[in-house]
Amino acid sequence: MEQSFYIISWTDVFVSLVLVALCLFLIKWWRIGLEKTILIGTIRSFIQLSIMGYVLTFFFGLDHWIFMVCLIIIMILIASFEANRRLDVPIKGYFMMNVFSMSITVFIVLGTILQFILDLKPWFYPYAMIPIAGMIIGNGLNSSTLTTNRFIGELAHREDEIDTLLSLGASPRAAVDTSIREAIRAALIPNINGLMLVGLVQLPGVMTGQIIAGVDPLIAVRYQIMIMYMWLTTATLANVLIQGMVYKHFFTSKMQLRKELFRVNNL
Amino acid sequence: MTNVAKSIGGKQILCNINLEIFPGEFFCIAGPSGSGKTSLLRLLNGLESFDIGDIYYKGQSIQNSDIQKLREEVGMVFQNPAIFAETVKENLIIRKQWDKLFFVDENDLFEILEMVELPQHLLALDARSLSGGEKQRLALARTLLNKPSVLLLDEPTANLDPRLGDQILNTINQLRHQMNVTIIMVSHHIHQASKYATKAAFLIEGTITETGPISILTNPVTEAANLFLKEED
Ligand SMILES: Nc1ncnc2c1ncn2[C@@H]1O[C@H](COP(=O)(O)OP(=O)(O)OP(=O)(O)O)[C@@H](O)[C@H]1O
Ligand SMILES: [Mg+2]
Repeated sequence: MEQSFYIISWTDVFVSLVLVALCLFLIKWWRIGLEKTILIGTIRSFIQLSIMGYVLTFFFGLDHWIFMVCLIIIMILIASFEANRRLDVPIKGYFMMNVFSMSITVFIVLGTILQFILDLKPWFYPYAMIPIAGMIIGNGLNSSTLTTNRFIGELAHREDEIDTLLSLGASPRAAVDTSIREAIRAALIPNINGLMLVGLVQLPGVMTGQIIAGVDPLIAVRYQIMIMYMWLTTATLANVLIQGMVYKHFFTSKMQLRKELFRVNNL
Repeated sequence: MTNVAKSIGGKQILCNINLEIFPGEFFCIAGPSGSGKTSLLRLLNGLESFDIGDIYYKGQSIQNSDIQKLREEVGMVFQNPAIFAETVKENLIIRKQWDKLFFVDENDLFEILEMVELPQHLLALDARSLSGGEKQRLALARTLLNKPSVLLLDEPTANLDPRLGDQILNTINQLRHQMNVTIIMVSHHIHQASKYATKAAFLIEGTITETGPISILTNPVTEAANLFLKEED
């Protein structure tokens, strides 16, 4: 079987707009009313990914580890900024907390992969390092933002419990222990479900991409397995690091719960 | 407690509170709903800060004391205490969750349960299945296991029938003698409270209008307090 992968041309991409057109037609017909958003989304994804392609090509051509590290730092900064915007309640310093927790997570997870799993030459081989870093950052921040929002919900829901624990002499950390655990559990469940269901119905994105690009499915599977384990660790690490900092924001220096931060008028 | 005032969100909740409470007293604070009684107790337990004035405990400003120790020593039982989704026993020894050295032996547990009139067989039950009154007594027992020297009680008899309410106040009063605990209680049940309290104050619209012996509970001097009593009856 000597089938090599197919190089999709720009013309082909434009033809794929037929699919969007069909979508728009259905939306219009049933008057669902999202035409404008869909158009913007279509154009934005096109532009963003195209730019990304050029940025990647540019960086890949630089061939020095320092540029790769710079790119990863830029990715962390952008993702942390985005995560900050998605909070239900503003948290002072959340951006920096994310930058901090993501730097550590990337260092540990990416470090493990580059050092012990993928034997790349050079070690910063950008075709592996950058996409994997992107996955770590994207998934990590996605998960930790969900956790933080859930944590805020838990605080609002459990403020009486927290007050009771504090009144009995518990430290703030002990008083929010249940809230933190609940929030992290909730955020990890999709990851764990992913481990359970993977391969049963849908082929995961990375594997699909590799197979389309002509990689032997047996090899694609190995990549996918590694990536799923990586996601799990990334999410756990990012959540634990972030929650270890976030809860402090909701207490005064006198160990009092700052209810005004999550009371209804603020949500 | 001198000259304490507090406002939340631009709203004055407590104003110019001056109270002096001595060890071993059974101090009852009465006042209409929304007058700031709960807020006052929360200040004493360190759950909230005040804007001006100062609160002294054992001669030391509570702002400079170890807040966790203060909360253990000045224990609080809430109006609607939080009951955790665990067994009654686990609710009682909740302190284990943060204090690994905390240990209560069975006998102490039984003794506490007896004090608050909860039967021993409840220990293994899910605490959420308790009645309102039982939950309140469970919360009282839980705070007592911290061995506080001051006990802040927010309407401890609100969910209890008069007989049981009496019984609990009696227990609390005995505790006061046996363990030398100072009691600061907020209550609507003025007649019941006046049987046990040694001193009383009225808190009306965020100010202490009157402090004195328990006779003021039934026979206040100030007009505002009189008005409040009339409305209660
Ligand atoms: N966090 C808060 N934000 C805004 N207002 C508050 C807050 N906490 C208390 N208040 C207001 O302070 C006032 C006093 O409340 P508090 O709970 O101390 O009353 P209370 O005397 O205990 O009443 P009750 O007898 O009904 O329990 C109320 O008017 C209440 O609305
Ligand atoms: Mg109250």
